[in-house]
Amino acid sequence: MDQQFLMGMNMREMGDISNPQLQAIMEQLGVDCPQLVGLGVDMALQYLYDATPPPPVSRRAPLASAAVSAPTGDDIDCLSRLPDGILKNVVSRLPAKDAARTAALASRWRGIWRSAPLAVVDAHILPDGFAAVRMAPGGDDPSSMLVVAAASRVLAAHPGPFRCVQLTCTHMASHRDEAARWLKLLADKGVQELAFINRPWPLDLPLPTEFFGCAASLTRLHLGVWRFPSTAGLPRSARFPHLKELVLSLIIVGDRDLQFLVDRSPVLEILTIISSQIDVRLRLISRTLRCVQLGMSALADVNVVDAPRLERLLLWMTMNHDKGSRIKIGHAPNLRMLGHWQLADHELEIGNTVIKVGTKVSPSTIVPSVKILALEVQSEVRNDVKMVPCFLKCFPNVEILHVYSQNADHTTSKLNLKFWQEAGHIECVQSHVKKFVFEEFRGNRSELSLLKFIAEKAQILEKMVVMVVSECFSSVDDVNAKLKPLTSAKWASENCKLSVFMSPVSERGSPTWHFRIGSDFSWSDPFDLMAADAEHRGNAVLHYFSSTL
Amino acid sequence: MAAADSCDGISTSGGGWEKTVTLVSSDDARFEVREAAASLSQTVRRMIRAGGDGGIPLPKVDARTLSTVLEYCNKHAAVPAPAPESSSAEAAAVDLEWFDKELMHVDLATLCSLIRAADYLEVAGLLDLTCKTVADMIKSKTAEEIRQMFGIQNDFTPEEEEQLSRENAGVFE
Repeated sequence: MDQQFLMGMNMREMGDISNPQLQAIMEQLGVDCPQLVGLGVDMALQYLYDATPPPPVSRRAPLASAAVSAPTGDDIDCLSRLPDGILKNVVSRLPAKDAARTAALASRWRGIWRSAPLAVVDAHILPDGFAAVRMAPGGDDPSSMLVVAAASRVLAAHPGPFRCVQLTCTHMASHRDEAARWLKLLADKGVQELAFINRPWPLDLPLPTEFFGCAASLTRLHLGVWRFPSTAGLPRSARFPHLKELVLSLIIVGDRDLQFLVDRSPVLEILTIISSQIDVRLRLISRTLRCVQLGMSALADVNVVDAPRLERLLLWMTMNHDKGSRIKIGHAPNLRMLGHWQLADHELEIGNTVIKVGTKVSPSTIVPSVKILALEVQSEVRNDVKMVPCFLKCFPNVEILHVYSQNADHTTSKLNLKFWQEAGHIECVQSHVKKFVFEEFRGNRSELSLLKFIAEKAQILEKMVVMVVSECFSSVDDVNAKLKPLTSAKWASENCKLSVFMSPVSERGSPTWHFRIGSDFSWSDPFDLMAADAEHRGNAVLHYFSSTL
Repeated sequence: MAAADSCDGISTSGGGWEKTVTLVSSDDARFEVREAAASLSQTVRRMIRAGGDGGIPLPKVDARTLSTVLEYCNKHAAVPAPAPESSSAEAAAVDLEWFDKELMHVDLATLCSLIRAADYLEVAGLLDLTCKTVADMIKSKTAEEIRQMFGIQNDFTPEEEEQLSRENAGVFE
């Protein structure tokens, strides 16, 4: 583990700052940190906080004014006549401070408060007027210290259970004993949903082993900015029997320990890894996993061995491991969504075949269940583009295809339309793709060739959306002119609508992504955030229907 | 198993045919409701499955309360939820939120009856909404304000109260 407390992302972004130098810088930390590292961590922290679900209770009270008329006469104490169970339900919906106030109403209410499952969110327990600050580098600032004091009292005062605990503002390195004590209390009192996020620095603070005591009661867990403790000494029977969702952000976790978490969580449905501090190696054997999401992390080997319920394998801003990175899809008969696949970075293996340019398609090299596929292609890099047809042939039933055109730092000789004409039969394009979204169109010939190829081959295409990088064009007319080969092509589908939008943000380095939406099963297409938003606003620069083209 | 006589058959709505059931309140008022709406109540759903004659009796809910509960069920069972990224989903969510808030414009006694009914009928969404309403009424109020609002008798002795406020002030305020 030579790169233990570094994010893969930062190392690559920082280019010439070599590993040992950075380690030396990091060793001085705690108070001071190099700006670059700080920026990278800030960005990761932002995604990490966004990935935490909003707490189930809020200080906002939109319904407070609803029950307008005051009760009269006999009805005056109608609330007190409700059974304890319902009053507990009410109290469990209150922020911790408001909930505690109900304990002072009357003796019966004291009992109700004591047995109501409580939600403890650090932002809710700070004294009035203090904001919960979480960005780094904050060190042990007033927000951190006040949370420590308040959380220690609250967790001790209530007998539990705790339905939800979110402690995200504390500089844990300054409060190691408290952190361990909290986890012990949370274990004793049966915490169900837990977000336990350390505020850097450092990034490699060991998570107290008291954490394992919480395993029995946890249903959702988000750990952030810790070194995960070794699981080697745990009993063979150790389990997370109720854990359905696991999010690990900016974590250092050994391969075996990560494997332990997955293997010992018999009802796990969602696994999200954000900004792993070391390369991710994962072997998935799970009867319950439905969504695996890997973001801002370097991937070494990801092997979907046997995951019969897996629907979503989501990748975002992933990087390849120095020795190459391979993603292997074995038994995943329900895999519907795959992407954003970065063609330059990851090798695909299906069954036991590594997919390469020229790999012959056979029943053992396809994943017929995938319906939504998202690719990132450096359209000016020959090897990237050459992989596209081979890759698409592995997913014959794709109905929605997203292609994000990545700006390459170097360009090679380009491939023209002739390349596409010789690409052979691509089943999904020809017979299944109904919607095609192309993001970051810069107007180069290689991009146009691909667009034109889709237009001329996709027989049942209903919708094509092109998002244009506005900096690359002088005017709307310029866009129009550049797209002329597309709009004058002979479209295979007679009923396709082409919509062209200017990207609302200037050159992005990566597709738009939101981790919580990625694992939200009610979102039918998490790759569609940007295009759907553009369509929603409806300010297209061009609209065409293929029948009138 | 046949849903037997509690299902009154078929009525037209929006040009289509839909199954309805009859619910009977504690004061013998009869409500004919779409089965899809009535089934938001787990209690009713179980009784539909069990079958029976002459409507489903709900002896713990009076007509006035039941009509509000059914207003909620009819609205929430109206259409299958569209995908959340579509613009219609956003509009539908805003509309539902507005509807829910309006429905809670009642006096406290009615609110309490609705809570009991939602609990007995097991309409999870309505129980959420009503309990959330009471919780929202409690937020940011002092203990004395809450007692007044809900007519709660303070039965602590002065000594107990002093001890309590000492404990709580230290812990939570």
